[in-house]
Formats: sequence, structure tokens, C-alpha cells
Amino acid sequence: MEYDLNFSWTGTIGHVVIGATRADGGTRKTSYTLGGGTSLPYLDNNPSSPSPLVALEICDNPEFWSPIIRRFCGDLIHSTSDWAKTAETVYGADLVRLYLTSTRVRNFSDIVSVGKTIESVLDATALPLIIEGSNEPGIDSDVFQKCGETGQDERFLLGTAEASRYRSIAAAALAYDHSLIAQSPIDVNLAKQLNILLREIGVQQDHIMIDPYTGALGYGLEYSFSAMERIRFSALKGDTDLAMPMICSAIDSLNIKEVREADPALQDEMAMQWEFYTGIAAAVAGAEIICVRHPKTVRMLKNAFADMKNNAGFSGVK
Amino acid sequence: MRSVTFLPSYRKVDVARGSTILDAAQRAGLNINVVCGGQGKCGKCVVFVQSGRTEFDKQKYLRFFSEDELSKGACLACETTVQGDLKVFIPESTIIQEQKILVEGRDKGIEFHPSVRKYYVELQPPTLIDPSPDLTRLLWGVQRSGGPVAEKIYVPLEVMREIPNLLRHSDWKVTGTIALVPGGYRLIDLQENDTSKRIFGAAVDLGSTTVVVYLWDLVSGKVVAVASNYNKQISCGEDILARVNFARKNGLTKLQTLAAESINVALTAASNTAGIDREDIYEVVVAGNTVMTHMLLGIDPAYIIAEPYVPVVQRALSVAASRIGIAGNQNCGLFAFPAVSDFIGGDIIADILSCGMSKREEISLLIDIGTNFEVVLGNKEWMFSCAGAAGPALEGGEVLFGMRANPGAIEKITIDPFTLDPLYTTINNIKPRGITGSGLIDLLAELLSACVIDRTGRINTGIENKRIRTGQHCPEFVVAWASETDIGKDIVITENDIKNLIMSKASIHAACVILMKEAGVSRHDISTIFFAGAFGNYLDKKNATIIGLIPEIELDMIRNIGNGAITGANLALINRRERKALDEIAAKIAYIELNAEPSFMDEYTSSTFLPHTDLTLFPMVQQLLDSCRLRKG
Repeated sequence: MEYDLNFSWTGTIGHVVIGATRADGGTRKTSYTLGGGTSLPYLDNNPSSPSPLVALEICDNPEFWSPIIRRFCGDLIHSTSDWAKTAETVYGADLVRLYLTSTRVRNFSDIVSVGKTIESVLDATALPLIIEGSNEPGIDSDVFQKCGETGQDERFLLGTAEASRYRSIAAAALAYDHSLIAQSPIDVNLAKQLNILLREIGVQQDHIMIDPYTGALGYGLEYSFSAMERIRFSALKGDTDLAMPMICSAIDSLNIKEVREADPALQDEMAMQWEFYTGIAAAVAGAEIICVRHPKTVRMLKNAFADMKNNAGFSGVK
Repeated sequence: MRSVTFLPSYRKVDVARGSTILDAAQRAGLNINVVCGGQGKCGKCVVFVQSGRTEFDKQKYLRFFSEDELSKGACLACETTVQGDLKVFIPESTIIQEQKILVEGRDKGIEFHPSVRKYYVELQPPTLIDPSPDLTRLLWGVQRSGGPVAEKIYVPLEVMREIPNLLRHSDWKVTGTIALVPGGYRLIDLQENDTSKRIFGAAVDLGSTTVVVYLWDLVSGKVVAVASNYNKQISCGEDILARVNFARKNGLTKLQTLAAESINVALTAASNTAGIDREDIYEVVVAGNTVMTHMLLGIDPAYIIAEPYVPVVQRALSVAASRIGIAGNQNCGLFAFPAVSDFIGGDIIADILSCGMSKREEISLLIDIGTNFEVVLGNKEWMFSCAGAAGPALEGGEVLFGMRANPGAIEKITIDPFTLDPLYTTINNIKPRGITGSGLIDLLAELLSACVIDRTGRINTGIENKRIRTGQHCPEFVVAWASETDIGKDIVITENDIKNLIMSKASIHAACVILMKEAGVSRHDISTIFFAGAFGNYLDKKNATIIGLIPEIELDMIRNIGNGAITGANLALINRRERKALDEIAAKIAYIELNAEPSFMDEYTSSTFLPHTDLTLFPMVQQLLDSCRLRKG
């Protein structure tokens, strides 16, 4: 069946730059310019659309991490820097997304350690970084300030701003020239509202990535997909408040019943498949960065993206 | 039996052990504020038990009281049962007070053409040469005096029975009252001698909160008195849903009686003011919402409030007023406005009649905000309508210091953008007790302009100002310090209050957009926005636009029609042609059920932003806010 792929779109997705090389004043081996799309990816008439980047998510207190990943990675998880290094050298990730889970304990106050952790990860890997700061309003200001300061000149992508708390992270991003993730709960209007709020306190459009929130396959992914489509369509039709690249994380996948309660022998495979298909759907809807936690999903996705570009189907799927 | 004494009025009442204090208060004739209908949800019926044994679950309702209040015996009247003889203090804030009720409708040159008239006739007594029957003689007389054609006048049996003696007793000088009812002309009354100057009619706005009556002299075509009072049904629940539920549990009789009584009280007051006899009221025209009209007529409203929301009757009804307990002449007729649907009732048809949108070529948008909101879009050719729950926030409910338009309610506010000090005026210019709906809208617009809140309504706690602080549960803004208030507490607006307000305004705006989309018109096609309802009269048009309560159009083109229901009822009372058009208007209006509208949630979410997620819909507001920001730097 033939489809007309000319949609008369007039909008362009804005650019966001993550990571700064030595030439830019940072220490990363590369810097990514995301966005710029004028259509949907993987359409027959859009062969040049870039593949999404794949980020591996790691953390600095693995107690908060899925047992599946803890088992798979073994001792690695006890050294945040080794974990970050392995993400680059062994797992093949394009980006490392560091969750500062150490801040999630009650009455956390050791802000200095936040800076040290980030420094150790900066030393361990040359990949551009996504840093997920605190998720506790009380310490937001200090933690984001420290993240911003430590990563000065490195052009981090800082996470995560929400409508209910965006001022601290925006302040840090503005002060140290980082970009930030703006997350809204699976709704095109709420996504736009947050972007307007950020714009009005001074965050430029080219420093925002939209996280539409990604439900796991079978657990709301279809809603996410639809929200992403609407966000992207609005942007392509000219709504600049939605014309930012998108970042999706398939992390809910590890918590769903099918994966959690899978036969131990199959659990890794289930986790990977679930993350993989969630990631593929997000990519097709237009996401520019896909985040996963299972190391093996990284390669699967990257192979699949390469194959999709060549119209070859998913050879990465076993 | 246990005796309960209410202070400070020392009213005493005996009730069965186990009755609630609310029951006792109602029996003592005290109107207690029960926003939730006595379900323990609103916390507005606070009373203080000074002595005696009661049962009350303090733990369960802890959130409504301060420590200090608890130590003084505070409890909720609706949830506290009488166990022993009691002394109960009712604070002023718990008693429903005289409200600032809107009695002025927009009066315009209305052509005077009532549907009930009196004809004084002096008849020749019958003779052997002229032996025509009494009735023929009487009706010919009426016709000769300018009345309708004799053959077309129907005479009910009760009046027929009166004729022979009355004619002879009065020496053939009588006054007949002819009413135009749906069946045609009807002789509804016959009196001795010339009483033709004594004929009055009443137009009634039967609101769920208030009843307003205009008393008209149907000979001179002038208003002779205006009166208003509370709808007594309030004691059975503040909102319609609570009352229908009350009717389900306890039967409809009480609510029917209370509705009629509420009208009677206003009728009596108006009659006394005008110095007329209630017996001379020959017609009552009632505009009320669908449920109110059903209740007044004693028609079960239970099926209106549940899916699929079907009213029993939509057409206009004419009944004998005495059959539903309305005090007037024994043959007084009552005309009830037609309805469109469950929530588009006679009050809205009256609004439409009063603003004249059904006669205009241009498209108008009518918004009636009360306990619920109703929206009508259209012109003389077509009309769409919808209705929904705005939530009580805009009327002061579900807002910590929200209150009705009672004395002491802040109704207008401006805020200095730099010091953040508010300037406010209260009803009756007394010390503030709370904030009324129009005040809340001002507050929201001013806080936004002063950058105290962002577009989602969150308070920027980073601002250093003593008025911005974190309260017990969430950030809040102090509108008035305890020392300047009448209640000895700081009057604040909390972030939760603001959220409730935004939800209310979002549902109204979303409803407007749904109708506009349905009709395929944009805001540029709307020539006029009419605001109706008590709330609308005090509303600041600019602030209503700034917060995105209504679509942005030229401010000059926004009109407050005030109490459109009473104006419409007046029109229908004194001009029978207008009345005839009502069923036609009602039939022309298409009703959109918002619950069944798939895009409603989407429109709603995009409206939960100040003024709206799509800023291009509010260019004037955008410009204004930009300049406010610029000024603040």
C-alpha cells in the first residue's frame, strides 16, 4: 500500500548540544548535536535521519537498582567509575546517564561526595554525560548546584525538571551552561506547559530535551507513543514550544511483573527484550536518546537502529 | 428526648438522643452552612459544644480544626450526635448569612403584553326578551370590553358554578380574569364589582442558592416590589446533587415544600413592600434550573442526575400555583420555563431571552457561572450548549478562606507588583472574613502579573517576602494579616486553593472551546460574551481574561447581564409573545454532553495553565504579562 509521505510540515526540531570536546573547552571525546529533524525518522523519504543515541543508565548507590542488573553486572556496580568506563568500552553506549541515587537516603547532606562522584565518572569515561540529580525538593538546590559546578564546560544534560520542581535545576543549567531534561506525565499539553515555564525563567529552547515519560511495553507504552507523536507533530507543524529533541527511558521495563517474576534462567533475556521493544517504539516515534539499564540492550538497540536505517529489519533480535 | 440550647441566640429545641446537632439546629430554625450536604466533607458546619455529652470522632476530622478550637469543644454539627442535654455555641461563620444577592436584572424597554388580564363588565340583566344564558352574557361582555372572542374562552367548572349567584349578587357588575394558557383563553376568576386595577404578577428566579422575586402591576406594567431570600432547601444540602440525594433518602416532599416556601417568603415580602394583597397575584412565572423546576413541581428528579441524565420534562409547563403550594390568588397560574437538558434549565433559557442572543445575527457566547456553569454559543439560527461542574472554588468552596458573597468577603483585590501588598475591598466595607469568587479571580490574575505564581499556579517560594511562606501543607500567600481581619487569623490563599481555582476555570474555558469547535467558530467570530449569574455581576472582565476563564475577545465586548434568569422571567411575565418563543428556543439548542466528548480532557488539560497552554489564543494577555515581567526585570 502506498502512503503519501509529504505532510507539508514546516517546523524543524531545534538543536541541543550535549558534551563538550577539548575544542569546546571540555574533556569529552565527542559532542552530540541532537535534533534538527524536519520529519519522522525511518520514513522511506527520510533516509538521512540520524539514528537515536543509546545511553546506559548507572548509579552511585546500587541499592536502588534492579536486582537483575546487579546480578548481571556483579562487582562492577560497586565502582561507579568502573561501571561508567565499561559502559563505554564494553557495552558500547553512546552516553552514560548517572543517577545520583546516593542522595536518595534520608537526611542526605554530603554534597561534597556528589561532586567527587561526578568527577570520578568524568575521569573514567570520555562519553558525554547525563546527570540525574536529587529527587528530593529539600536538597535539589544544593545537589543541582554541585552537579552544574562540577560539570562546568562539559555541557551535561541535567535531569530532571518537572512542573512541580524546575527552578533549582534550571538555575544550575543556566549558571553553568548545561541542558536539561523536562519531564511531563505522558501528555502533550503538560509537556508544552513545562517548556513554557522553563522558557519564562530563561532556559533557552536549545537547552531543553523533552522526556514525555515512557511507559513500559504493555504498561502504558501506547499512551507514551501517542503523546510523543502529538509532541512531534505539533513541533513539525510549527509549535516552537514543543520543537525540542526527546529523550526516553525504558526503565519501567525492569519493574514490571513479567520481567520481575520471570524464570531466573530467562530473566536477563526478558529484561532485554522488554527494554528493547520499548526503546524501538520510542525511536520510531522520534526519540533522539533512548536510555536503558541492561547492558546487553545497548548493542541490541544500536544494531537494530543500523538495520532499520538500511531497511533490513531487526537482525539484532535473536 | 434531649434538649439542645443554641448560643448566642438561646434557641432551644428538643430532639431524640442520637440526632445530629445539625438536625437540632435545623429544627431550631438556624441555617447552618453545610456545603457538602451534611456528609462531613466540607468542615464548614463547625460548632462548639460548651456542655453536655456528645459523640464525635475527633480523630477523623482533625484536619478541620486548630488545637485551640479543639480545646474549646469544636466539632462538626453534621457528624456529632446528641447524647445528653447540650449547650452549643454556633459561631457566626457557621450560620448562613444574608447574602449580597443580585436582584437587578438588566431592564430594558419591554413591550407590555401580559397573558393574564382583568375585564370589568356591567351587564344587562336577562329578560324574557333577552334570555341568553349567564355565561354567554358574561363572555359577550368581556369581549365587548376588549377581551378575547367569547367563543374562544374556556370556563372551568369551578368558575362556572360561581357564575349565577355572583352575577345576581353583584347586580351584574363583575370583574373577570382571563388568562392565556396553552389550551387557549381561560376564565380563571370572577369577582364582584370592579377589581380590575388589582392584578399583579410575579417573576421568580428560583436558584439553588437564592430566590429572587419581582412583583409587577399587570395594569400599569410597572415593578412594584422586589424581594429575595435564601432557597430554604440549602438546609438539605448546598448543591443540587446533595439535594437530589436527600430526596432519594427522605422523599421529595420536604424539598418540594421548601422550594414553594422559599418563593412564598419572597412573595410575601414583596407584597408587603408594595402594600398589596397576595390574593391579587394572578400569575407566577418561574425560571429555575432543571432540577429546581422538577422539585418545585414535585416531579422526581432522581433520574436527572444519573446516567444517561434524562429529565422528566423539557417543555414549558403551566399549572395551578395552588397545587404546588404557591401563595397567590386561588386560581393563580404558574408558568415554568422550559429546559434543554439535565443541566441547561429554565434559568439558562431565561438568560438567553434576556441577553437577546437568540434574536441576533452575530454569534454570542453566554456563560452562566453559579454552583455549576452553563455555556451557550450561537445566534438566531443555531445554538449549542453544555454544562458542567466548575467545582465550588469560584463560589468560595474548596478554598481555605473562600466564602460566599457575605459581608466581609473580599470581592476586589489588586497587588502591588513590588511590595506584594494587596489592596482590597470587602462587601459592606467591614474587616475581611474571607475571599469571594470575584476576589479569588482578581487574586489569581494579580499574583500571576506580579510573578508570585507561575502559569501552573505554583507559588515561587524563592521570592523573599513575608507574605510568601510555607503553610501546614503547601506554600501560601498572605492576603490579610490576622490583625486586619475580622476572624483573628491570617487570610491566605494556598497553592492548593490556586490549583482548585485553575481546575474550575479550566473546565469552563474547555467547555467554551468544545462548543466553539463543535460550531466551527474561532474566538474572532464571537461578537459578544455575556456573563450571567450573581457571580458574573462582580466579575472583573480583564482579570477573567487574564486567567483564561473565558476566550480572549475585546474587553468592551464582554457584558455582564447580571441575573439573566430574573430578567428573562420578567420578560416572559409581561410579554406573552416572548413566552411563546421559549419552547422554540429550547428546541433549537443542541446540547453537548461534555462527559461524552472525547476531546474534553485534552481541552481541559490545555486550559489548566494561566491563561492557556496555547498562548496564541490570548495575545492581549501575553502582551500584558510580558510587560509586567519587563517592569519587574
